[in-house]
Amino acid sequence: MSVKSHLWLLGVVLAGFTLSQENPFQQRLNQAIQSGGSPYAEDLRQDADQALCSQYRDKLPPDLVGPFTQRQKALIRYPQSGKLLGDWKQGEAVFTQPRKGNCYACHTGDPKEKGAGRMGPGLVGYGQRGTGEAVVKYTYQKIYNAWAFQPCSLMYRAGYHGILSPEEAADVVAFLLDPASPVNAKR
Amino acid sequence: MLSYTRRWLLLALLGLGLGMALTQGDELDPYKEAERQRELFKQTSGVLPGELYAAQGEELFGQKRGPKNVSLEACDFGLGPGKLEGAYTQMPRYFADTGKVEDLESRIRSCMVRLQGFQPQEVKREEVKALTAYVASKSSEMPLNVVPKHAAEIAMYNLGKELWFRRAGSRDMNCSICHDRHAGGKVRLSPVRSPRQGLSNEWPAYRFEEDKLYTLEDRIAFCYESVTVRPPERYSEPMIALSVYMLSEATRGGNKFTELPGFTR
Repeated sequence: MSVKSHLWLLGVVLAGFTLSQENPFQQRLNQAIQSGGSPYAEDLRQDADQALCSQYRDKLPPDLVGPFTQRQKALIRYPQSGKLLGDWKQGEAVFTQPRKGNCYACHTGDPKEKGAGRMGPGLVGYGQRGTGEAVVKYTYQKIYNAWAFQPCSLMYRAGYHGILSPEEAADVVAFLLDPASPVNAKR
Repeated sequence: MLSYTRRWLLLALLGLGLGMALTQGDELDPYKEAERQRELFKQTSGVLPGELYAAQGEELFGQKRGPKNVSLEACDFGLGPGKLEGAYTQMPRYFADTGKVEDLESRIRSCMVRLQGFQPQEVKREEVKALTAYVASKSSEMPLNVVPKHAAEIAMYNLGKELWFRRAGSRDMNCSICHDRHAGGKVRLSPVRSPRQGLSNEWPAYRFEEDKLYTLEDRIAFCYESVTVRPPERYSEPMIALSVYMLSEATRGGNKFTELPGFTR
């Protein structure tokens, strides 16, 4: 082996060693989390991108944004039927149920729902965009994995975490885009 | 007997009143609704549920209890034994006798263990809550004054800050993304505040929607549960750390406590 390849190997070993070593603050943090009990410690485990968002306080430096959104986009799965525009009535149920989409916590939708939250953009009349392929695809991807567009946004990755199946995500797309949906009722 | 006309007029007025009540219900402001509920309690029973918890706590505080048969009057909340006036405004804080940063709830438990001789597992949560309501009531409407100085307090602040920003769980949440970035928004009808805007300044409080007293730790647990993260145990470090972080930030924002115990939805 040449000296060069030895150096390369040494570099890899050193990098691995550095990554496996937690700094004292991280150690202390993990100890504190463990002291909260195992259910808490289990639920507070992070995937790499959750950890990245935490590290940068939800504002990624510009050079990390591209790779981040690409990684998230690669996590998106699609319905086997290929249909991204599902059934708006089922979509309404998924949109509403607290254990499913829980979308009314943050968004308006059906204007008759008076208890809708105001954290995210209002979605009344979302269907004005039409049902062109690009609109449908964007809406589907955003619902399935919001971080594919906005890293570290408040909107969670419903499909990635399995809260919505690809079919359910397509139903929510229909609730937003179908002209017959109450979201798009003429007012 | 009422004439037909008068009866008709009364019904019409009743209908109008009902209609107005329903329209108001459409856009109910949660703060106004809490105020309304509070007034109703005052009118019907002359006393607020939070005051009852505090009265219960006062009784427990003065009673000789536990294996050592002593009261809690020698418990030091940071201003000297038995000094309660304003003590809660400076908690959590470091206590040399336990060598720990303790919030009010943990401190009460420590005193029940160290002074009264209870085993930690014997300490009843309901008693700690009532005692918390009582001691906190002595800081009602006072300015917050949580300023980490001791190394252990600063360490807790830093841990709390890290937990505040930690994205986790299937809803990808942390505290900050709602309470900092989207402060001023509403989750459903609930207004969202940042710590600098005073978040945490109303606990312990009676929540009329639950008909229960919530301490700050109870409220933190409820927050975690609502984003499907199973909360840390009561009196544990994450609870203390998050309390130090929020109350320090609320102090920096120049906030006062509300009436304590608070009254909220």
